[in-house]
Amino acid sequence: MDENALKNVMSSVLRVPAADIGPDSSMDTVTGWDSLRHLTLVLALEDEFGVQIPDEEAGSITSYPLIKLVLTELLEA
Amino acid sequence: MSDPVDPRAVLAAPGSTLAAVLRAVEEVEQQPQERTVRIGISSAVTVDLLGTYLRRHGLLSGTAVQVVPGNHDDPIGDVERFLHEGVQHVVLVPFFDALLPAFEAQLPGLAPAALDALETSVRTRYRLALEAARPLPSVHLVTFHRMGSPLDAGGRDVVAAVLDRFDAALRDVAAGFPNTRLVDGADVVRTVGRDAAFDLRFWFRGKAPYTGAFLDELARRVTVAARGFGAPFRKVLALDCDGTLWGGVVGEDSVEGIALGPHDHPGNVFWQVQHEIAALRRAGVLLCLVSKNNPADVDEVLRDHPSTVLRDEDFVVKKVDWSDKPANVRALAAELGLGLDSIVFLDDSPFECEAMRQQLPVVTTVQVPARLSDYPRVVRGIGELFLAGGVTEESRDKTEQYRHRARAEELQAASVDQETYLASLQLTVQVRRDDPADAARISELSQKSNQFNLTTRRYGVSEVERLMADPEHAVYALVVGDVFGSAGLTGAVVVHRDGAAARVESFFLSCRVLGRGIETAVWPRVVADAVADRCTSLHADFRPTPKNAQVSDFWDRLGLSLAAEAADGSRSYCIAVDDFHTPTPAWIEMNCVG
Repeated sequence: MDENALKNVMSSVLRVPAADIGPDSSMDTVTGWDSLRHLTLVLALEDEFGVQIPDEEAGSITSYPLIKLVLTELLEA
Repeated sequence: MSDPVDPRAVLAAPGSTLAAVLRAVEEVEQQPQERTVRIGISSAVTVDLLGTYLRRHGLLSGTAVQVVPGNHDDPIGDVERFLHEGVQHVVLVPFFDALLPAFEAQLPGLAPAALDALETSVRTRYRLALEAARPLPSVHLVTFHRMGSPLDAGGRDVVAAVLDRFDAALRDVAAGFPNTRLVDGADVVRTVGRDAAFDLRFWFRGKAPYTGAFLDELARRVTVAARGFGAPFRKVLALDCDGTLWGGVVGEDSVEGIALGPHDHPGNVFWQVQHEIAALRRAGVLLCLVSKNNPADVDEVLRDHPSTVLRDEDFVVKKVDWSDKPANVRALAAELGLGLDSIVFLDDSPFECEAMRQQLPVVTTVQVPARLSDYPRVVRGIGELFLAGGVTEESRDKTEQYRHRARAEELQAASVDQETYLASLQLTVQVRRDDPADAARISELSQKSNQFNLTTRRYGVSEVERLMADPEHAVYALVVGDVFGSAGLTGAVVVHRDGAAARVESFFLSCRVLGRGIETAVWPRVVADAVADRCTSLHADFRPTPKNAQVSDFWDRLGLSLAAEAADGSRSYCIAVDDFHTPTPAWIEMNCVG
């Protein structure tokens, strides 16, 4: 999976530089990553990677490593 | 990363990803825009992305949109807050399934009395919200739609019946507010497709029912309805002939050989397009021809072709010759007395379209699509450009009125002297004071009049109504008629009484009636009213704009004295009412009401 594309999407939605996005980024560490923004983020990720994130994961992928994990699974499936 | 791309192209492309749109919106907003507006969004459900998409479609019409989000399901409180925060436009999103939790599911078991109470509450809340929003230029109210589909294959289940009833209630409430426009929510669902319109994951988690696709289309419709939040009114559709109104080249294929008719492809595409264009004419759009052809050939098609829908009398001006098209478009704008920005040009030739875009970029140029089956859809898009903002009754069927003007100009050419000619027109001017029935048309005219407009103040409908009701203001409507017919309500004066001074706040006229002395006819009446109101002086201003140079000396011509002139060219005038002696021209019959 293309980590640069992931960082770019997160950067656009969360309005932080792509270089600042990394393993430590999560809802707790990124200001502006609130529940409204999270919704936009999920939609933007689905749009970018052409996947459907299942209901149970859509709400819980609240950190960079979790998003990477779920996207990788979906893309390999 | 990816190649550098034009962010505007990203905004315009329907397939752009959400992340790309977000980036492009931020990027384009860094550049200067023609105008900036603040839009308040008040919704019964979470519609965060609607703001992003309003920004997208606003930018595509040259408008930077600042979004002011409302609280959850608080239309009345939201609107009151919006007023304090300088919001100009409001989008209200009620939501049927959120009227009660899982409303559609529990509806079949609800007691009729509970439904009655709910309907009353919907009516009251939205009436109060719209009442509070009266001072704003525009409110866009999204009508109800359902989320689920009926189990009954026939579709008319109890939910459908209640939906109809509540939808009618909403429309009924909105009808009392001239600044409120409805956006058909159910039609947005149909256009996007039900499965693509809703996202149930976030509906249950966070009350966010809609997908980006739905909110994007909703934002697009709101932007179109608000004319891009202040883009110019389009009035003229200038049409090429060969390849645009019919298939083939009439000069080569002959009248019998062109493709135009109800049954066979590709003639049936052009035939449908002609019907759509005829519908635009009936709605008030002025049609013109700009074609490189022998005029006799084109005339023959319009007269003799068995399937032509558009006829000679549908066109106000025909420029059928071998001159270049930008020159012809310029000439027709001058003949009609309209700005170039009010013209939409439709042609199938990439060469002509490019020439127009380069030489007259303010003209909206549309090319007939290469895939002909897309053509009717493109024409419908053109229709949206014209009809956005609502066409009032008097705007309809302008073709006749402009033809009157063209005929009047012919008469003028034949007449011996100007005054004899004007007398032969049998001009009448009816002056109506403070008649609320005129408010919508006066507001529309204030938005559209650029050339004969002394101060270029734009009024909303509610503002005109307020001024009419205010004892310190008088709003006069001018209804002009002549031997050829009525030109309708074509001018207005707004006067503010300030102690002993009567100040002319606005004076504007439609260009259709210029050059006949109408502009001086109303003033004896205005001054007489000022005297009756115990005013001793009349004051007036001229504010220059790029378009109103022709009235820069109007107050001088009316006999007022220059009192002050500012560096920007603005001028103030005054005159003691006793010194005002400019009479109504002898050839005009005045008739005052109210």
